[in-house]
Amino acid sequence: MSVRHTLTAGAILDRQGGEALHDAFANIRLKRGDEVFIDLSSTERMDSVGGAWLSRIVKEAFRHGVTVTWGHAGGGVAEFLEVIAPALRPAPEKKRAEPGPLEALGDVTIRFFTEAREFGGLCVDALYWTLIAPFEGRGFRFNEFLDEVYEMGVRAVRIVCLMNFLVGLIIAMLSAKQVEAFGLQIYVANLIMIAFARELAAVMTAVVVSARTGAAIAAEIATMVVQEEIDALRGMGINTAQYLVAPKLLGLVVALPCLTVLGMVFGVMGGALWGIVVLGFRPSIWYQQTLGAADMNDIIQGLLKSFFFAIAIALIGCHNGFRVTGGSRGVGRMTTRAVVMDVFSLVLIDMVFATFFYYIFKQGVPGQG
Amino acid sequence: MNAPLSHTGKRTEPSDADTIIEVRDLVTHYGETKVLDGVSFSVRRGEVFTIIGGSGCGKTTLLKHMCGLLRPTSGSIIFQGRDVAAMDEEELAGMQRQIGIAFQSSGLFNSMTVGDNVAMPLREYGGMDPRLIEPLARLKLSLVGLAHAYHYMPSDLSGGMKKRAGLARAMATDPELVYFDEPSAGLDPIMAAGLDSLILNLNRLLGTTFVIVTHELDSIRLIADRVLMLDRGRVIFLGTVEEAACCGVDRVRQFFERRPDEYIEQRAAE
Repeated sequence: MSVRHTLTAGAILDRQGGEALHDAFANIRLKRGDEVFIDLSSTERMDSVGGAWLSRIVKEAFRHGVTVTWGHAGGGVAEFLEVIAPALRPAPEKKRAEPGPLEALGDVTIRFFTEAREFGGLCVDALYWTLIAPFEGRGFRFNEFLDEVYEMGVRAVRIVCLMNFLVGLIIAMLSAKQVEAFGLQIYVANLIMIAFARELAAVMTAVVVSARTGAAIAAEIATMVVQEEIDALRGMGINTAQYLVAPKLLGLVVALPCLTVLGMVFGVMGGALWGIVVLGFRPSIWYQQTLGAADMNDIIQGLLKSFFFAIAIALIGCHNGFRVTGGSRGVGRMTTRAVVMDVFSLVLIDMVFATFFYYIFKQGVPGQG
Repeated sequence: MNAPLSHTGKRTEPSDADTIIEVRDLVTHYGETKVLDGVSFSVRRGEVFTIIGGSGCGKTTLLKHMCGLLRPTSGSIIFQGRDVAAMDEEELAGMQRQIGIAFQSSGLFNSMTVGDNVAMPLREYGGMDPRLIEPLARLKLSLVGLAHAYHYMPSDLSGGMKKRAGLARAMATDPELVYFDEPSAGLDPIMAAGLDSLILNLNRLLGTTFVIVTHELDSIRLIADRVLMLDRGRVIFLGTVEEAACCGVDRVRQFFERRPDEYIEQRAAE
């Protein structure tokens, strides 16, 4: 059988008054189905914190199956209670329904194919506006392309050179130690030349550029989406692939192979510094050894890779930028995603190239290409 | 945290003796340009005080000085007997915790739900019983008519709802003084009227003092107890809306009668 309890609130229902009322409520021995009536006839004033205590009482009561009502409030208190009434209504805590495994799998699959379709569409658009449209007289933003080459290429020269130089130095340092016992230290020059021509310059440069430029592309476009600039472009009938993607794509396709060549030179110079200064080889000997190891096929392989790396970095950056949702946090999330996807795609492209050259051209061992 | 106000439902009529904030001879520059030039006035406790004027006349700059977000070139802003312009960072933060600011673009954090946005000052300032934070945030959202939006993300809200949520956050700690920059800007007339009525209700129910920057005539006529009009950084009018309507200053009449600049030239010719 349900019991009706009555609590009388004090003259002032504020932080202290509310807490006292809550303590009085907590001290009642309640059972499911009971009712608690809060008499507010003596309450002359109440504030937001008092209201929050009242809300707390309602919530706790609801959890135990107890009904709380109040009444006899006068003047301003009654009016205030009326305004805050929605916050005082007991509401069951909503639990988010977790999808089942099949539902989750379906969701992942749909999202994957949706994204793949969007990415495919962007690739087709970008390639059309970069390679075909300019020759059909549909325009190409040449000045923006030059700006992008400057921004993505020229401004990245110092960091790319420094990174490759240091990596060349480190590899020379480590490999020289390994071959010291065999007296083969001069072959470190060959190792550095082949590694940088075929692999390291392209990969190291692409990693630096993806962290620098890939992130910047994603952040720039994502911010434009958030600030409705992309909608504005579309609203003006301007194709975003032509306006934004094509100059960036072509800019990076030009800039990255150039940076890779610089990376090769500086990587080899890093190795030479160690060979000449620390290992004590004469510069002419080291130079001859390096030149002897240089193979045009290796250099072309590195440059070809960098060309595909550039396409991947530009398109992944743009794709993630266009997909942003949720304001500033979304911009950060998409920028991070772009860099992670860039690095993954670099490794994937590198693996495809390694496999291709290994099986098709039998180029696993230097000199066999 | 600021002591909460009591709500009696009876609004005390503002009087000159009960000043909540006073601006004295405020001068400020942006580079070489003088933006505010000897601005002086005081805001009475419990009133809705509006700052009006044409675009670029220094309204928002004045508001930012009153919040302590900008430092003036000279002059003082007295809040609770202390000069805001002379406060160090710590004192300034203490002062800013006693006021509420609702920004023109709402300033809600996009990464948090609306409820978390409102609860944020309650959590960050400390001193609040953790059991009360959620009910208090819900209560504040109820006050602005957004009780249902607690779990929404700001991106799910319309422009008017965002402004309401921004106001709920500004009022989360029951500040005595709330600054509101352009409440009606960009809202449709119905939404703007709703926001005006909300400001009046909060002023009446909670006794909150509002300092509102606006140039919406309908809002000014409906909500303002007193009006301060700025023109090129100077105060050209301070008084009630009724006084403004029959004011002899050309610029004030031009503003209230919505006339173009030719009006002033015509008047000068007469």
